Amino acid sequence: MPTTTTSAASSSSSTASASGNNSNRQADVFSRLASSDPEVKLKALREVKNQIIGNRTKKLSFLKLGAVPAIASALADADDSEKCNNILVQSAAALGSFACGFEAGVQAVLDAGVFPRLLRLLTNPDEKVVDAGARSLRMIFQSNQAPKYDFLQEKNMEFLFSLLNSENENVSGLGASIIAHACGTSVEQRVLCEAGVLEKLVILLDGSLSQREACLESLATVLKNNPEAVSDFVGLESGRYLNSVTELTKDRYPRTRLLSCLCLVVIYNTSPSYFVNMGTKSGLITTLLELLNDPGQSGDDAALGLSCLIAGKEDLQKLAYEANAIKNIVDILKTDSELQTKRLQGLFLSLAELCSKLEDCRCSFVSLQVLDLLINALRHKDADVKAAACICLRNASRSVKNLSAGRFNSDHVMLPLVQLLHDPSSSVQVAVLGALSNIVLDFSSPKSSFIEFGGIKQLIELSKSMDPNARCSALRALRNLMFLADNKRKELYISDVNAQGFACLISDPEPPVQEQALALLRNLVDGCISSIEFVFDEDGLILDTVGRQLRKGPQAHMAIQGMYVLTNVASGTELHKEAVMQQLFPQATGSENFMLKFLQSDESQLRSATVWTIINLISPSSPGAYDRHVKLRSAGIIPQLKNMVNDACLDVKIRIKTVLGQSMSFGDNY
Amino acid sequence: MPVRVVESNTPAQVSGTDPGNRSQLPPSSLLGAGQAFSGTQNVSNQQKEEAWRVNVQIQGIDLEHGYLCGTMEALNVPMADTPVITFWEGEIVDGKNYTFYTGKWEATREDDMRHWSKFPSFSPLQGQVESDGGRQLDLNNYPYIFMRWKEQYFVNVGTDCGLTIAGFYYVCFSCSDGSISGFYYDPNSSPFQKLELKTVNEGRSGFSFSSYELQ
Repeated sequence: MPTTTTSAASSSSSTASASGNNSNRQADVFSRLASSDPEVKLKALREVKNQIIGNRTKKLSFLKLGAVPAIASALADADDSEKCNNILVQSAAALGSFACGFEAGVQAVLDAGVFPRLLRLLTNPDEKVVDAGARSLRMIFQSNQAPKYDFLQEKNMEFLFSLLNSENENVSGLGASIIAHACGTSVEQRVLCEAGVLEKLVILLDGSLSQREACLESLATVLKNNPEAVSDFVGLESGRYLNSVTELTKDRYPRTRLLSCLCLVVIYNTSPSYFVNMGTKSGLITTLLELLNDPGQSGDDAALGLSCLIAGKEDLQKLAYEANAIKNIVDILKTDSELQTKRLQGLFLSLAELCSKLEDCRCSFVSLQVLDLLINALRHKDADVKAAACICLRNASRSVKNLSAGRFNSDHVMLPLVQLLHDPSSSVQVAVLGALSNIVLDFSSPKSSFIEFGGIKQLIELSKSMDPNARCSALRALRNLMFLADNKRKELYISDVNAQGFACLISDPEPPVQEQALALLRNLVDGCISSIEFVFDEDGLILDTVGRQLRKGPQAHMAIQGMYVLTNVASGTELHKEAVMQQLFPQATGSENFMLKFLQSDESQLRSATVWTIINLISPSSPGAYDRHVKLRSAGIIPQLKNMVNDACLDVKIRIKTVLGQSMSFGDNY
Repeated sequence: MPVRVVESNTPAQVSGTDPGNRSQLPPSSLLGAGQAFSGTQNVSNQQKEEAWRVNVQIQGIDLEHGYLCGTMEALNVPMADTPVITFWEGEIVDGKNYTFYTGKWEATREDDMRHWSKFPSFSPLQGQVESDGGRQLDLNNYPYIFMRWKEQYFVNVGTDCGLTIAGFYYVCFSCSDGSISGFYYDPNSSPFQKLELKTVNEGRSGFSFSSYELQ
């Protein structure tokens, strides 16, 4: 017998309030539930069951009054004799109804310790009792709170297969539900496959509707992210089983179509090579798009399913776009203002995936006026919806064309985003920072709504967050904000950050934070030559910190940004170039010069950035160029470049040629 | 472009539309987002000699899709009170996304060859382009990048400003010094208006690079 991890709670029945007819009737029901007369008890059970079916308010009301423990007692007290069968059936049905789609109900049923009793009903000689027990248990297993099922125990597997082999479709459906909701690890998936569960589930697809649906869910669970399991499944009966599932995507019942689609999504995401046929991919996308219009749970799940399917896959995004996905989704969002949270989240995530790589999709966004829908969603009460809308905005704003046209640079868009920086949910904060990172790239248009709403100060605060992701994202947004920025905009940042504070960012314990801080610095010292002075504040603290970090042998991405800081500073005055030389050749050092290491890096961008620093240091127009050239040569840097004339990267090769040309003008031989 | 688009969800799969084994062109430091160029466009016609000063800025580049975009600012335009700024999008001839043949914008193959052959750096490639469209060319190691730039809209003036953006530019970029030359093509305008640009260093003694990263 499977074990449950929940413990039995003490009975918590309470008496109803004495006022009002409803309360009186409810109190009356409780006393009748406890009656020793089976007929009275049975009638009370039927009454409760009939009131709560499909009625969440009633479920909550009875729950608060302690109905579940009372019914659990009725179930426990009934023996297995025939005369108690009706009581067993009605109490199981009532408990099942409490658990159906109602998490508090599931909790209450499990707390009442009645789970083992419900399991025992499955071996009752009366078919109706077995049915009621199976249906009730299925409701529990729909919930994440369902007890863990240890598939690795032989006894449990035997029990599971006894359920799957049962002639009773509610019982076999229960077996499938247990798998669907309790199988979590690849070890469990393997054990189930080896026991023959795949073949069993496919055979059960031919059964009743609810059994078929449970089996489709189980198949998806067993196959998910498990290439071996998928390979086994596709190989069975020469692909006939896969065909069976594919055929079900054309079934007349929407939920069956949806669950078979989700099964195929799992197979595709795990092993895409089994879907070489474009028609299958198109069919899958078209079916999911149609299901988006289903008013029930299938529509909610279809939206999330579609986003999972096309995530990261440009070819599928293109198919979906060509199948009019954007317009379909936008029409649903525009016409139905009362959409469920889960569906809204799924629809926005699907739109986000559609815009993730395709410029055509991002332009459709703008033309279909999706922005207004997204702005409204930013004010939704649910964090998942807000986060999904932010992710959607982030992906749509990957369009340089639309950013350049200022499509996102309006008060209407910016204000709710800036307000969300204070959202209590960290997932919303991360998502909004992602969107803002892109949207602040206004290519230096004179007006920035973001700055007008005090965005810079907020980003400065977030760059000091305890969360490294928040620090990194805030710095990235600042970096983008300072791209080609004029002195006035740079001053808005620099005036609030001192050299000490900035040096801390460059020395952050997290390399991605260091990288973004250096990239921000690179942008701050680009542009007007006077902006280079920032690195000399407080006795050159920032420039010293950059040099120190580069000497530590950092990761390539960080080193690239650091070298571009030096490149940009070295494009300044004679004093600036000499200051860079001091960082490259500090007085007390015995170790190999870091530039030599960078020139030998596998990363072509790092080699390129390093050569640019050298180009700027020996730029012929500057008076000290010759002396700097001598120093670079004696440090082995110019000779190293001579060894790199055939660098694999064309850009590096060209830059080296420039240096060597300059070198020749100083009398050096090529 | 010198940016990384950071994907927070499942890793990207390669698009199934890439024919053969062509890869994108390697990045060139001087053709990157933030780079600025300045020069002239010769708009002479039979009646008079005239040249406009032009500033170009690259705003984005996506080598995987052979795409780039930016702004073009024309100064001392006679019929305008202010400099006229347009937003343009470019196609990079990489043999994967785009070839030397335009195939649109009223440009025939003859028009294409007539324009490309005006760039000295095109002559080593001409024979192969004429014979098989340049399918065998290894553009990855060629120190010049060929593009077409098409202006999409006016940024700061109305469409009634008396100027046209109906045509497009055939462009050649030199990877070594960042110089750009181009020829404007529009069947309804003077032919072969030449664009000549050099990199701009904003008063610096050397090159400086800004960057952004799209999430």
